[in-house]
Amino acid sequence: MSIGTLLRRYGTLIGFALILGFFWFNLPDTFMTARNWLNITQQLSMLMVVAAGMTIVMVMGDFDLSVGSAASLSGIVAGVLFAAGYPIWATVGISLLGGLLGGAINGVLVSFIGILPFVATLAMLTILSGAAFVLSGGKTISGASIPADFSNFARGGIPLGEIGGVAVMLPNLTIVALVVVFAVWVLLEQTTFGRRLYAIGGNIEAAYLSGVAVRRLKLIAFALTGLSAAGAGLMYASRVASANPTQGSGLMLNAIAAVFLGMTMSEQGVPRILATVIGVLILGVLDNGLTQMSVDSYVRQILVGAIILLAVAASSFSKRLRR
Amino acid sequence: MSFLSLDNVQKAYAGVPALRRVALTIEAGEIHALMGENGAGKSTLIKILAGVVAPDAADIRIDGRPVTIGSPKEAHRLGFRFIHQEFNVVPALSVAENIFMGRRYPKHGGVLVNWRALNTTARGALEKLGITHIDPRQRMARLSPGDQMLVRLSSAFLSEPDAPARLYVMDEPTAALTRNESERLFRVLREIRAAGGSVLYVSHRLDEVMALCDRATVMRDGATVDTGRMADITHDDLVALMIGRKVEEAYPAPSTPSTSGMALDVRGLAAGRLQPTSFSLRQSEILGIAGLSGSGQRELVRALFGDLPLRGGTIALDGRPYRPFSPADAWKAGIAYVPRERRSEGLMLTRPIFENITLAQLGRQSLGGGFLTPKAEQRFAATLGADVRLRSTGPRQLAAELSGGNQQKVVFAKALSGNPKLLLLDEPTRGVDVGAKFDIYTIIRDMTQKGMAVILVSSDLPELIGMCDRIAVMRDGAITEIVAAQGLREDDLLNRCYGRARLVA
Repeated sequence: MSIGTLLRRYGTLIGFALILGFFWFNLPDTFMTARNWLNITQQLSMLMVVAAGMTIVMVMGDFDLSVGSAASLSGIVAGVLFAAGYPIWATVGISLLGGLLGGAINGVLVSFIGILPFVATLAMLTILSGAAFVLSGGKTISGASIPADFSNFARGGIPLGEIGGVAVMLPNLTIVALVVVFAVWVLLEQTTFGRRLYAIGGNIEAAYLSGVAVRRLKLIAFALTGLSAAGAGLMYASRVASANPTQGSGLMLNAIAAVFLGMTMSEQGVPRILATVIGVLILGVLDNGLTQMSVDSYVRQILVGAIILLAVAASSFSKRLRR
Repeated sequence: MSFLSLDNVQKAYAGVPALRRVALTIEAGEIHALMGENGAGKSTLIKILAGVVAPDAADIRIDGRPVTIGSPKEAHRLGFRFIHQEFNVVPALSVAENIFMGRRYPKHGGVLVNWRALNTTARGALEKLGITHIDPRQRMARLSPGDQMLVRLSSAFLSEPDAPARLYVMDEPTAALTRNESERLFRVLREIRAAGGSVLYVSHRLDEVMALCDRATVMRDGATVDTGRMADITHDDLVALMIGRKVEEAYPAPSTPSTSGMALDVRGLAAGRLQPTSFSLRQSEILGIAGLSGSGQRELVRALFGDLPLRGGTIALDGRPYRPFSPADAWKAGIAYVPRERRSEGLMLTRPIFENITLAQLGRQSLGGGFLTPKAEQRFAATLGADVRLRSTGPRQLAAELSGGNQQKVVFAKALSGNPKLLLLDEPTRGVDVGAKFDIYTIIRDMTQKGMAVILVSSDLPELIGMCDRIAVMRDGAITEIVAAQGLREDDLLNRCYGRARLVA
């Protein structure tokens, strides 16, 4: 394998390693510790779940802009239901179903009515965000209405023993994210459903003429993305023991960025779930490391954006060189 | 001194040589044929001339002076004009705007577009080809594929005083044209030759090449193997040079079917522009569909395949009623389809061969049901690939890396993957080289031997006569007659397509 191929294939991974090295060197005591990494995975878990869902639609060449407001809305729905005295299982169930339904509406708009995903999910973003404000009255739902068992979930985890006299645990939210990643991996890489989604992304007309039920699959894929967004919203609500109508708004752009970062690792520029995981880790590590180095959060935004541009530019540039 | 000479042209992609040693000279006032199978390197050579691909080494001279062609712009300035095989148009723009694609629009005072001048100049380019029925202000999307091709052709004939055209490179220009339109193009090319211009002409249609061109250069495996005057070369010589061996027969012998039940019975079928149509088809039979382009052939096939909603009529497949609502229904009923545009409708170019071949059979128990079993899939694909004589590095190779003929074989392998009862073929050998063509004909024959019925839509009349049992002639969205193929003469069939059978008979 030539150096060019190596760089093209593993450029993003090498970049990730450089970032890790940089923080390890500059934060020798705190960065490369089990504690910090468990913390990172917990911080990342919501983004990981949304990015996994986003990967499903991006495999077909579509995307979903409404995931952030869907996450916010699902947190608000949970808060309202808790306040009305619903038990945890019913609340979680209804919120997840709501996400599935919202995603299915996206799917109907895109596949059966034929609206471009950009327009359809942008409109849904606005609608769901508005609905979150209407339901909550624009206020944060918190305090006694959120059951302790619900918020304790995000603080809990599986004890891993003691390191240096301090107890460490694998956070529940990290476990949820791992389970979701595994489920999406099975779905996309191991089932005919996933293969058909890749076929749609490869050539939608050829897939349709080969008997792939394009419209039905698109509907299901968007519904699953909505479900993942609702799940992330619940994780968020549990973590901060409250629900607020703008809670999920940062998720959408980061999820799309993570999938794009992952796509730079594929020769054909195709989204793969495990590559998305790397993309999420890059974003999470940058955030964690720069925060620890006390870099101003606005400066952080500029740096993160620049790194995404750099990775995608390097990948498309090296692909062009090959011609 | 030659107008254009190329020597020692070399190009490799990722270490794999596409062009090894190419030498070619084109005289002023000559129509020069560039021949060769798909994958021989013709496209790469043309891309180098067009400034799209940079050669690893090349000695290119114009009027004896060395030149380099660094970009499409430079190629244009040198007087090169191109009609590429995969023609691209912008459907949302007007005909005139498409003709001016990549050129400077005439302007009022250098700022606002002078639409009147734009349309007039475009009309002039169209008229050069004798085209008067296309309004330059029309949207491109409203034109038939044949008319779109004519527009693309005429853009090469746009007069440009500041960079006069000296060489026209035509890659399969007649693939989407009717005979009349092709004749008109040939007349223009001959005029260009008479005026001292040059043409580099690429086509798989040997008869056309033999009638039109002065000399031919044959390429094989990335090298030019021979150049000669057309007058000194026979049809068979050319074919032998291209494929490197002798070919005795253009079409395999008809099969001797063991079954002869009714495969398909269509009564009053109407859909889209397709007028109520009735015909039937026996097992092992090949029914050809002839007609001028846009006579309803595509609608007929698409209606049978469930891609076009039926307005009326009934279909019986193997004696059972059949009414498809989607291609998925057609596959389930045992109908397979090889679409006309293999790149846009037939293949997922960026996916491996095996994923392309198994796509319609995913979910079969032998392939693991709902879960993927890549090993079994690859075996399945390799078997089918061998059946269709696919040449590849293995089932994991990307479809995009195959030559046109081998890509078409992948599409065939997919179509045959479910042992269909009825195979619908829409221009199955378009842009396919001679060797692969014969392979494809053999595959079709082998399958009919086992009882499969075939509907073959083609604009290649010798192909229809050579392969079919009967030929249905379509005109204005309806079948006008069905004739036996045996003993049918080409000019007779053509006249029937035009609706002039009686004048001749």
